Amino acid sequence: MSQAEARQTQRVVLQVNGQRHELDVEPRWLLADVLRHQLGLTATHVGCEQGVCGACTVLVDGKPERSCLMLAVQAEGCEVTTVEGLTPAAGLSPLQAAFQQHHALQCGFCTPGILVTMEALLRENPHPDEATVREALSGNVCRCTGYQFIVDAVLAAAKEGR
Amino acid sequence: MAVDMLKPQFTGARVTRLEDARLLRGQARYLDDIHLPGMLEVAFVRSTRAAARITGIDVQEALRTPGVVAVLTHADLPWEIRNDGFGVTQPVLARDEVRFVGEPVAVVVADSRYAAEDGVERVKVSYDPLPPVLDMEQALADAPRRVHSQRANVFFHSEHTTEGFAEAFAQAPHHLQLTFRVHRQTGVSMETRGCAAMPDPASGRLTVYVSHQSPHGVRAQLARVLGIPENELRVIVPEVGGGFGIKAMFYPEYVVVTALARKLGKPVKWVSDRTECLLSDAHGRDSVHEVAVAFTEEGRIVAVRDRVLGDNGAYPFPGFPGAVGESNWATNMLPGPYKIPHISLTVDCVFSNKTPLGPYRGVGGPIGAQVQEGMVEAVARHLGKDAMEVRRVNLIQPEDFPYRTATGNVYDPGSYSESLEAALRLLDYEGFRRRQAQLRKQGRYLGFGVCVFVEPSAMAHSEAGSTPYEAAFIRMEPNGTVTAALGLGPTGQGHETTMAQIIADRLGVDVKDVVVLHGDTDSAPFGGGTGGSRSGTIGGGAAIRAGEQLRAKLVKLAAHLLEAAEEDIELADGQAFVAGVPARGIPVRELARIAYTDVNRLPADMPPGLEVVARYQPPAPATYSNGTHAAIVEVDIRTGLVRVLDYAAVNDCGRLINPLIVEGQIHGGVAQGIGSAFLEELRYDEHGQLLTTSLMDYLLPAATDVPRMRVQHLETPSPSLGGFKGMGEGSLIAAPAALANAVSDALAPFGVLVTELPIRPEQIVAWVQAAGQGA
Ligand code: FES
Ligand code: FES
Repeated sequence: MSQAEARQTQRVVLQVNGQRHELDVEPRWLLADVLRHQLGLTATHVGCEQGVCGACTVLVDGKPERSCLMLAVQAEGCEVTTVEGLTPAAGLSPLQAAFQQHHALQCGFCTPGILVTMEALLRENPHPDEATVREALSGNVCRCTGYQFIVDAVLAAAKEGR
Repeated sequence: MAVDMLKPQFTGARVTRLEDARLLRGQARYLDDIHLPGMLEVAFVRSTRAAARITGIDVQEALRTPGVVAVLTHADLPWEIRNDGFGVTQPVLARDEVRFVGEPVAVVVADSRYAAEDGVERVKVSYDPLPPVLDMEQALADAPRRVHSQRANVFFHSEHTTEGFAEAFAQAPHHLQLTFRVHRQTGVSMETRGCAAMPDPASGRLTVYVSHQSPHGVRAQLARVLGIPENELRVIVPEVGGGFGIKAMFYPEYVVVTALARKLGKPVKWVSDRTECLLSDAHGRDSVHEVAVAFTEEGRIVAVRDRVLGDNGAYPFPGFPGAVGESNWATNMLPGPYKIPHISLTVDCVFSNKTPLGPYRGVGGPIGAQVQEGMVEAVARHLGKDAMEVRRVNLIQPEDFPYRTATGNVYDPGSYSESLEAALRLLDYEGFRRRQAQLRKQGRYLGFGVCVFVEPSAMAHSEAGSTPYEAAFIRMEPNGTVTAALGLGPTGQGHETTMAQIIADRLGVDVKDVVVLHGDTDSAPFGGGTGGSRSGTIGGGAAIRAGEQLRAKLVKLAAHLLEAAEEDIELADGQAFVAGVPARGIPVRELARIAYTDVNRLPADMPPGLEVVARYQPPAPATYSNGTHAAIVEVDIRTGLVRVLDYAAVNDCGRLINPLIVEGQIHGGVAQGIGSAFLEELRYDEHGQLLTTSLMDYLLPAATDVPRMRVQHLETPSPSLGGFKGMGEGSLIAAPAALANAVSDALAPFGVLVTELPIRPEQIVAWVQAAGQGA
């Protein structure tokens, strides 16, 4: 692709957190970058752009996807949900509250990706055991917490029926 | 006075964190979330060679790339970072020669990061390759060449031998020689490094945002390199997504971005990508210890000789050349919790054509602990004793404190033996030995490993610089809420909560009414920042002192208004009242209102306002945390894979400010220890190319690699204010050694003693096969 072509934008319609956005994007722009820089939804973080760390995880049609491995144009027609979309207008969601209660975050950088991944897990499996939580969590790297309090928070949220 | 009678409400409690809501709601602002109209973004052209002369840089095609604004090289930005004492300077963009793969050579400025990266691809750098220096033993003899032509590769040498070492060593009945090695690893904060600089045309000042552990440290370095007065520079550290030491260093990119903002008169931002991070973040570890140990029939270690060689990479970071930090810490703490009367140390640090070495959590502590505990295992094996018995024979006992080590440290009291026994109980050591014997008969190899660690904390000198004190500013606002500011640089440790707990207790207010600011040189008093596990102890001490001074003002005012003696005033639950007569009281917020807006009611000798700044320097050059980690692992001898089945951490960091936060720190350190022991290695090829440039190659522990950990606290207060000891690094000091010993124990039937980390599965398979062939 020549650079001039690369800079050509195209119009996409993205459905993010229940809102419709018409945007001009370069075809090569990552979904993560468009969410963060075009829409200002900076809760979604970028930790590697290599598909490994999971910090960029968002829900695409309800399934956790890595927004660093997806182009914004590929998300056309899908419903994208970020942490902003899982957060109540005031206060914290039950899962977020459990994270605070159990000290499941330190620097907080991995946290949005983990919240999104765990929301999806609990929707699919409202009462997971510890091994299931760890398995579902294994695609998200947290360098700070050693995971234990994250697991505790998810199990507690599940127990309280979120 | 009242301080002794204080019944802390928040200090010591499992207070949930005040910073969490914004982080959980996704409202926190990290470096890359900062965006200004007209902001330019940069990307760096980095060396693809470990050692080469630059024969030309062609930027023409890059300049024609759509969106690219400028491409600059050393000729345009001729700044250099000086590292006094070593005769080496580091150009912020390479001048004539590159010395490691990843070294910045040129910078592309564009209207977006995408365009900047397009430009980077089109900059053509011509190199004339030089033989790279990649092996530390060879580097010692300046082979194949010098990394810096003007000086020898050995840039640091030290020796220390206790008097009477030679006789003590010679007279001991038993001797062993062991070589320990830890390979290159790095912190890998989940948020990459980055910075953004913007000129303020109105004031002529520059604001620099940087993801860093020490705001004042960055300001001092930028001021020094660029020749800008410190009062014209404002450094702001936004939310930081992890640091672990790597973000305590001063990097060339920060100078480039700041200089660009000045030159172009525009806001400029750089955010590292993961590959750049693995290439250019400070690497850690990478040293070799050749050890000779002399011991008695009972297993008492009488003398240890350690010859250390450390690879520093191409340049010394200012204030903290990593290899020197590593080696000094490892040798200085070599005796750990054991009474080893004689020590002989030789340290050499060399330059190489690899990424510069800096601090990673624990610095030389992990290799030091590995040597110390590996020695214990080897001694036990040699004598046919249980390793726990050898530990008991050598441990410093409660009556020995304060204990002066052969390396000159004075340990304040700790719970060394107690922590060992507690850890053994937590994992039922005796029961394990029976289970281990049974399972071995079925061809299953389980092992038990221990590390009794001592963690020096709150040091007068560390990667946070030589700032042995910290300052706290506290202001009670006219409505009775509290604003505090410290010069710390938290990267997830929760200082906004712990400092608020300490301050709230002093002022008798709710912890939620205390806002703790940090990371802005315009609002925070000068401080060293966060590193070397200093914040809780030194920062906490400053918070106590400032809190007490502000408390004294409140008490004085309350006594005056209530017509009582100052000694009789108590502060609690937002009230000032006469002891024993809660009805004779006045709300703290009323005191605050009077102090600012009803000043006629103040005592004659009391100035208006409620503000204090206080500084605190602990009484000793360090305070020593301690504890014991114990691990049970299972080794699959066919695949070489190791599973951690159970883990216990007994931790003594003096008085706890917040057990929840302490436990989080321990868990995180153990996970990193699992990475250090089994997964993480920065590997170079024979040309000096880093092979591990993605998180697919540099493996980090996942939730399925880390077991559920059992944590137990012991509390032996330090002599510092509040009785706190630092604890940010102890778990990563102890975990690798405990895990290495657990693998050694599992593979004892094959005669394996692990001395090199990380342990790779193929090594395990090879050891087992070699033993089989030998048998
Ligand atoms: S940023 Fe997408 S997986 Fe790491
Ligand atoms: S909380 Fe820092 S990476 Fe998870």
